[in-house]
Amino acid sequence: MTLTRRQFTGLGLAALAAPASIIRPAYAQPKPGDELVVGIWGGAQEKIVKQFIEPKLVEKYGCKISYVLGGTTDRRARAYAERGRPSFDVLYLNIYESRQAVADGVTQAPTAAVERFDALYPLAQKGGYGVAFNPCTVVYDGTAAKTPVTSWKDMWNPEWKGRIAWPNGLGAEGISALMMTAKSFSYDITEFDKVLEKVAELKPFAGIQSSQAQLYDMIDQDVADLSVEFASFTRKYAETRNPDCVIAAPEEGMAVTMNVACITEGTRNQKLAEEWINLHLSEEVMVAYAREVYYSPTVKDIEMPDDVKDKVITGGQVDDLVDFDWDYINAHRAEWQAKFDRVLAG
Amino acid sequence: MRRWIGPVLATPVTAWLLLAFAAPLAVVVLLSLHEYPSPFGPVLVHPSLVQFRTILTDGFYLSIIAETVALGLAVTVVSAILGYPLAHWLARMPSRWRALAFAVILIPLLTNVVVRSLGIILLLSPKGLLNSVAALVGLGPFNGMLFTHGAVIVALAQVFMPFMVLALYDNLQNTSPRIHEAAESLGASPAIRFLTVDFPLSLPGLRSGIIVVFLMTVTSYVSATLLGGKKVWTIGMLVMQEAIQNLNATMASALSLVMTVVGLAFIGLVTVALGRFMAWRKGTPSAPMDIPAPLARSVDLAGPVLSKLALYCAIGLLLLPLGLVVVQSFNDVPLATAAGFKGFTLEWYRRVLIAGDYTANFLISVKLAFASVVTGLILALPAGFALARHPFRGRGMLLAFWMLPLSLPGIAIAVGMLKLLQIYLAVPPFLGLMAVHVVVILPFMITLLTTSVLSLDPALEEASASLGANAVRTFLHVTLPSLAPGLFAAGLVGFLMSFGEVTVTAFLTTARLTTLPVRIYSEATFALEPTAHAISALLIGVTIIALGVLGKFVRLDRLYSR
Repeated sequence: MTLTRRQFTGLGLAALAAPASIIRPAYAQPKPGDELVVGIWGGAQEKIVKQFIEPKLVEKYGCKISYVLGGTTDRRARAYAERGRPSFDVLYLNIYESRQAVADGVTQAPTAAVERFDALYPLAQKGGYGVAFNPCTVVYDGTAAKTPVTSWKDMWNPEWKGRIAWPNGLGAEGISALMMTAKSFSYDITEFDKVLEKVAELKPFAGIQSSQAQLYDMIDQDVADLSVEFASFTRKYAETRNPDCVIAAPEEGMAVTMNVACITEGTRNQKLAEEWINLHLSEEVMVAYAREVYYSPTVKDIEMPDDVKDKVITGGQVDDLVDFDWDYINAHRAEWQAKFDRVLAG
Repeated sequence: MRRWIGPVLATPVTAWLLLAFAAPLAVVVLLSLHEYPSPFGPVLVHPSLVQFRTILTDGFYLSIIAETVALGLAVTVVSAILGYPLAHWLARMPSRWRALAFAVILIPLLTNVVVRSLGIILLLSPKGLLNSVAALVGLGPFNGMLFTHGAVIVALAQVFMPFMVLALYDNLQNTSPRIHEAAESLGASPAIRFLTVDFPLSLPGLRSGIIVVFLMTVTSYVSATLLGGKKVWTIGMLVMQEAIQNLNATMASALSLVMTVVGLAFIGLVTVALGRFMAWRKGTPSAPMDIPAPLARSVDLAGPVLSKLALYCAIGLLLLPLGLVVVQSFNDVPLATAAGFKGFTLEWYRRVLIAGDYTANFLISVKLAFASVVTGLILALPAGFALARHPFRGRGMLLAFWMLPLSLPGIAIAVGMLKLLQIYLAVPPFLGLMAVHVVVILPFMITLLTTSVLSLDPALEEASASLGANAVRTFLHVTLPSLAPGLFAAGLVGFLMSFGEVTVTAFLTTARLTTLPVRIYSEATFALEPTAHAISALLIGVTIIALGVLGKFVRLDRLYSR
């Protein structure tokens, strides 16, 4: 085989570039006064990181931690606008946003530079560093059910007609509900129109719920009896507000959703960001997450205490979570959202 | 000499808007001309009208535009019907009580829009206050009140009616008691006097109120999202979805511009339509209103009853949800939205007052609102004079430009700003955020101050001049005190709008500059604790005390009445 001059030049350049991609760039050591900007949800998430992560990092480096609180959509929009020159160092996103953000060059792909990277389940090593599994499933008012829900298909039972609060659009709960419908009725991911038609059979909805807080209100106020929601928050809701609320364990499985910590491309605090995430993956934080909101751990090497171990997903149960082709979903997101609005919402 | 006064007075506000509003607006226009969305593409590309063609030929978009306009009209009508008796009540309130009575509209404005919407949920829900009261008298239950257009209209009227009341109040309280005496001496009953004297004289305020309430309604999305359960759509919700969820700034920009055109058309229609009934403003004698005797008797009989009913409804609508907010602030529940009183706790107050959970955010909001109001007043007052007293060529075009931020959804300004973020980051964050807040509040301030300047009695200034006062002295000692109610109303509206602004701020917030509403909104999208209710209850308490104390010692009546 003979090489042309162009092929030879190309190979030469590739050989020169290869070490550069393997050798990790030398990042400056954190120093007192450095500021790490973290974009995260408010409420329990903010409380836990402030309690368990911030003090350790501040004590070690004398740095300052600042938070930008808000929903993931606001954070993501801002991070996209700031691509390459971010005001965030660490950004918390959901599973599909995090993978798209890496593909779009907004955040970094995960690496073993974060010490506990290897302890992560493989599922949590994509799009960033998974910090909490938060599966979605069918949740319902047990007193309104003639028989327990054991399949996603049970939503089509006549008893739920007019009593379902379908999750809005293509958010974490919404896409879980749609994709689990596809899986349960054996539709291919390319047959989105059929999925919508199937879900449209459930109309009229009692409402379209835009957040778990809104759903719990709907159930409390007897507006709706069934929906698709995060098992974690719903368990908290059932224990504190509504013991009649049931979290189904459908035979088709629960849909995987995950909170992901991402380091922005272009951050000036790479080391601090990596240490922050490393601390987030510690046993202490994972247990605190489980106790506070029943978030399931994303690392394999920890033992959940007895008081929460039966209420979260661990070990082999992680393999039972249903994952989707997020690249395909992300590529069709705008088109699907437009169809959802026309067929199901309003 | 007079020819240049108008343009000079109009220059500061125009310059500000060119710098802080025209740039993002230009970006929005350019984005709307993209053929397809590209989050990282250049702003300037070969123009295409495909987005506008899509909007104007897609039944889905057209139906949402129609739904939004209908919602805007309904909220405006409800606000006017309920706002009139309330504004009248405030204007006729003895001066010693007026400051406290003002709390009825100030308190709702000081309460975060998310928290207020949650209050409406607690009011309308199947196990809410209305159903509980109905059950006591053997009615109901009415389970279908939430997640309907009616619920959204009620919530939006609760949020925006105070703006209508403020606009009407300024006109109504300016009506001289002598005019009332004249009407009574000619045999007019209070109801007929209202119809033939107060109502026509308040039309400038009504026009301002209608425009403000309609435009705020059609560009809103928070209350519609929380109360509509996605069964109700507004164009603001759609713009938000396209811009933020789909990262489709192109379609979001096009939708914003379509809505802006609708808003401007509405302003034109209202101005022309109501202008026909304000011939007296141009010195043209109005045709006397002839009310047939039977109708006059009916008005005399029904008028007092209906106006009282509307007044009670207005006060109830404004205050009941807030009462529920206060109750919820003592409720021992994990989330702000939890229904039913589970037990008494002071935990949420401990979080606010002792743990200082929201202190930094509160202070940032106050500083930002104060700076925005001062800047806004400095810019809007000359603009008000330019519009009201110094006509000049191109004034109409300039007014349309000044009003544009009102008719352009805040989210669109945010979309434009997001694209300009790299430039924006070079500006100190506080200054940048303040610049945008001033843009958001300027249309309100200009509208209210123009109405005030129009209501000024030029004879007073002429009298001052004839007594030897120069222009500056006359302005400081005669004009400015006469404008005090208008300045107070404009300053108040500006402060409250800036203090509660969340749409644009959420985009431009930084780690060191998170305002109180953004903090509450961020928690509401995840899991809002009743701490938000506690801070709202504290603000309500502080407002009542401040108005009560100030009203007693500082003669606030001088601020309201001239």
